Amino acid sequence: MRYLFRAIYTRLASLTLGLWLLGGVMLFLAIGSFLQGEGSSINEVPLFLWLREVPLRESWWLRGALLLLALLALNTVLCSIDSLSAKWQRGSFLVRIAPQAMHLGFLFIMVAHLQSASGSFKQAEQVGEGAAITFPEGSQVVFTDFNATYSKMGMPTSLSATLAYPAAGGTAMATISPNHPFFYQGHGIYLKDVAPPPTKAALVEVHKEPGAGMALAGGVLFTVANVILLARRRGRV
Amino acid sequence: MKLLLLLPIALYLCGGTSRSLFLAGTLAELAYLASRGLELGRLPLIGPHDTLAFFSTSCAVMALPFLYAPSLRDVGFFRWGTALLAALTTLMALPFPAFNMPMPPILNTLWFELHVALAFFAYALFGIGALLGLLYLRRPERPFLDLQYRAALVGFSFFSASMTSGGVWGYYAWGTYWLWTPKEFWTSILWLYYSFYLHVRLKGPAWERTVAWGGIIGFGVTMFTYLGVSLLMRSSHSF
Repeated sequence: MRYLFRAIYTRLASLTLGLWLLGGVMLFLAIGSFLQGEGSSINEVPLFLWLREVPLRESWWLRGALLLLALLALNTVLCSIDSLSAKWQRGSFLVRIAPQAMHLGFLFIMVAHLQSASGSFKQAEQVGEGAAITFPEGSQVVFTDFNATYSKMGMPTSLSATLAYPAAGGTAMATISPNHPFFYQGHGIYLKDVAPPPTKAALVEVHKEPGAGMALAGGVLFTVANVILLARRRGRV
Repeated sequence: MKLLLLLPIALYLCGGTSRSLFLAGTLAELAYLASRGLELGRLPLIGPHDTLAFFSTSCAVMALPFLYAPSLRDVGFFRWGTALLAALTTLMALPFPAFNMPMPPILNTLWFELHVALAFFAYALFGIGALLGLLYLRRPERPFLDLQYRAALVGFSFFSASMTSGGVWGYYAWGTYWLWTPKEFWTSILWLYYSFYLHVRLKGPAWERTVAWGGIIGFGVTMFTYLGVSLLMRSSHSF
């Protein structure tokens, strides 16, 4: 029995399995990129909800990719454990730890996607002057003004909206514009478009992305560890 | 004004015989990009003309340290390969119109510029890696493969940083760091592909030809991610 467990562990931790899994995930994603229709709601709802709602013939590629990614996560963890235990006493600490930090960054990104797949939220709303967005605990954010400027060709060059929100001791004001959302009660309020004057209206979206922090941590950890590895391997390959 | 690109194309092609001419071509194309930037008041990174010009300049700039590497200094195949790569990608920019439109508000952020510029640096290094793979298949000498690995690893670092900055931009622009669109699919495939490539190298000397081929195929995946997806599939990243 012990021999059997050892054999399974060795197989699960193997580089060869990791390569096959990477190949499989790439294949499923490539298929998905062609199967994904323009009208798909995959970006409109949390991913796990989308998986529950759509028929298997539309989502099989994603289910396949998720299964292989789960195995790849396990393979990554076991491979890192093996690598650290084999090389713990050898070479520079940074060279030993950098690839494992990259693995950890990759795992963080996967956890981030799991968090977002189950807990994200998105809602688009057309709002006019004085319109309010009500949050789950009852507080309201009220839109008070909208501004848009256009180029000679008629393209918008700047868009903004002013909103009022409850703050300690009364009401505070904030301005949102593309790339500058306003965060309130764990949600982001994003300005998507503003109607040309004299109409005072805008299209806004409210988002909640619980995996964002973890994804950023994973991306930064992966990139920094990658750069450290690169720097430590300068002059030798 | 875009006809000024004929000068770097000519210099790149002559660069197959002389590194100094290749360097002159690089400086000429950098000057063209700088003039575009001054005209637009931003980095020229929108539309196929500007992105192809940025990509070809990146190829030329990233090729320079390799052209001066001791093991490649006298290798005509590599010199001609980089000359053709830079000239061809510059030539591809010519038929497309150079848009002088103002920056759409959603793209008007440092995160976008960082995301795109870093991705092109990575693409350029993956292109150089492919040339080194071809060189290794012609002349199986270990230093060529080592340089291919170095190009891929530096490119992978740029690409990882590009994906991270793209995620930050997406979060501030769209409310999410990730969208299921063809470009994101293929960006992830490219990232996974180079993870695959870097891990195949760990299999040992018996896999050296596979590694060389991996670098060549990787550039094919890169080109599909950049041009194929942008031109053939609808995506938030479409031209």
